[in-house]
Amino acid sequence: MTERGADDEIDFEIDPEDLEGSGPVVTEIGAPSLVVDDLHITYRVFGGKKVSPTPEEKPSFAKRILTSGRDQLGGVREVKAVQGISFVAHYGESIGIVGINGSGKSTLLRAVAGLIPPTQGAVYVSGEPSLLGVNAVLMSSLTGERNIMIGGLALGLTQRQVRERFDEIVEFSGIGDAVYLPMKAYSSGMGARLRFAISSAATPDILMIDEALATGDATFRQKSKERIDGVRENAGTVFLVSHSIATVEAMCARVLWVHKGRLVRDGPADEVCEEYKQFVRQVRERRKRDARAKS
Amino acid sequence: MEDEGVPAPLDQRLSPQERDALVAEHGLTRMGVRPPLRKYVRQLWERRAFIGVLATSKSQARNQNSYLGQLWAVLNPLLNAAVYVIMFGLILQSTRGMSNGIAFIVVGTFMFRFFEQSVVAGSRSISGNVNLVRSVHFPRAVLPISQVLSELTTLVPALIVMGIIAFSSQYIPGQGPVPLDWSWILVLPAVALLWLFSTGCAFLVGRWVAITPDLKNLIPFVMRFLMYGSGVLFSITLRVGDGPFGVALEHQPVAVYLYLARAAITDEPSIPPDVTMWWWGIGWALAFLVVGFLVFWRGEERYGRD
Repeated sequence: MTERGADDEIDFEIDPEDLEGSGPVVTEIGAPSLVVDDLHITYRVFGGKKVSPTPEEKPSFAKRILTSGRDQLGGVREVKAVQGISFVAHYGESIGIVGINGSGKSTLLRAVAGLIPPTQGAVYVSGEPSLLGVNAVLMSSLTGERNIMIGGLALGLTQRQVRERFDEIVEFSGIGDAVYLPMKAYSSGMGARLRFAISSAATPDILMIDEALATGDATFRQKSKERIDGVRENAGTVFLVSHSIATVEAMCARVLWVHKGRLVRDGPADEVCEEYKQFVRQVRERRKRDARAKS
Repeated sequence: MEDEGVPAPLDQRLSPQERDALVAEHGLTRMGVRPPLRKYVRQLWERRAFIGVLATSKSQARNQNSYLGQLWAVLNPLLNAAVYVIMFGLILQSTRGMSNGIAFIVVGTFMFRFFEQSVVAGSRSISGNVNLVRSVHFPRAVLPISQVLSELTTLVPALIVMGIIAFSSQYIPGQGPVPLDWSWILVLPAVALLWLFSTGCAFLVGRWVAITPDLKNLIPFVMRFLMYGSGVLFSITLRVGDGPFGVALEHQPVAVYLYLARAAITDEPSIPPDVTMWWWGIGWALAFLVVGFLVFWRGEERYGRD
């Protein structure tokens, strides 16, 4: 959400588990299912501090006294997370979104799913997109059982459908009897697995996946990949945000590269990923060089 | 520095004509646009099970981190009432001239507390559920409704305690009779109206606080003002009089619901059963519910951006 730049870890390691399997499911590309038109998303962030354009220069004592209150008063900053992105997606496409941390990938995905209202521009869709995220809401003080009901109903299932799928969800998440314990007693992996199982219980037209594959151990990852493949064959269009470039390469035919809220590349997966990997490598080397220069 | 090696941004913007043609040809709909009122109400109705589950889960979760657990749902309003009965009823004698001051204050504080908690919960309906709003689609009006409903579920056991205290207060020397008769049933429609009214208020504050978080800080003061202006601890008629100001205070919504609940339970000569008060109660409930709902609905496309 915030602009962080490249100092955070850049995770582009290739994970052998991700490379197993079929690669992108090849399907006929059909009619447009989604049009993103000049999308802008601006967050209001409260409690931020104004950053002066020239940080080296220390303001005078008097000036500091005069402005010290202003930092605390109404410290609202606008963060332009997405700044004018346009593209068209079609039925049968699987689209990956790559970019370094803080480049606006997740915000873009959420805005495209209609969960964050655009500040400017618009998103047009056919059907109802659904976001499959590991951060789906759950109430940590309640049992997993209760959370399955809440999550299922939130996704638009009926109470009966949730009850029917209950066993399947529990089995898929692999948490067993822990489902009757409050979620705050879960390990982070258990929580993530349950969330994934809940959010993939409903099959949507347009499926958006946000970092969902990063959770769990190798077997769980394999299981979830199978599930996503299954959903993908039914769903018209799939969007995938992942830190793991190998996952994107394995699952997507088209890749969007987002940098600082702007779309910088849009094309076939192999080409864009190659370019992106090269960029990441450059950033790494540059950082190593800087570190060496400092020490 | 980190921009090095990044290609220049692409400009794939469609011309308005191209876009409109695409949208029209493939029957696409614009996302994040507030649905028309009738559709919104229908979507809300379809989510009624979600509202119920969310409400009961919230009230269950509320008191889970303590040894006494759900007992606090009853103990909290009880202690709250005890403080006011001791301070205002016994020490300050704010209810002088009433036949049973304890029943008067107890009914007042229990009912007012429900209203206050509902408004506070309503103000958090968007800001406290940002994660939910940012991960799933549903009409956002689900949130304030379920917040207030969750307060209502905790009110039910509290109401029973309220009845028991009000009834037993007549055995305390100096307190007038509180006969257990059929009029007690009227507490239920009074609570129902107060619930509808509170939901309307929750819609209003829900939107205001979602857009301007600062307003959250004003709620406690407004509530305190309302508490003293609605005669929770003293009788408006006896203290303020029958002048235009007193009449206006008597007929503002919170005072009306307190009147209805007291008329049902207590046997105060100054609070006789009154049909016009019921009409006032119904009117306020419907007015706030409808206006609040419309106000909340009009903000639908803004929730979740900040």
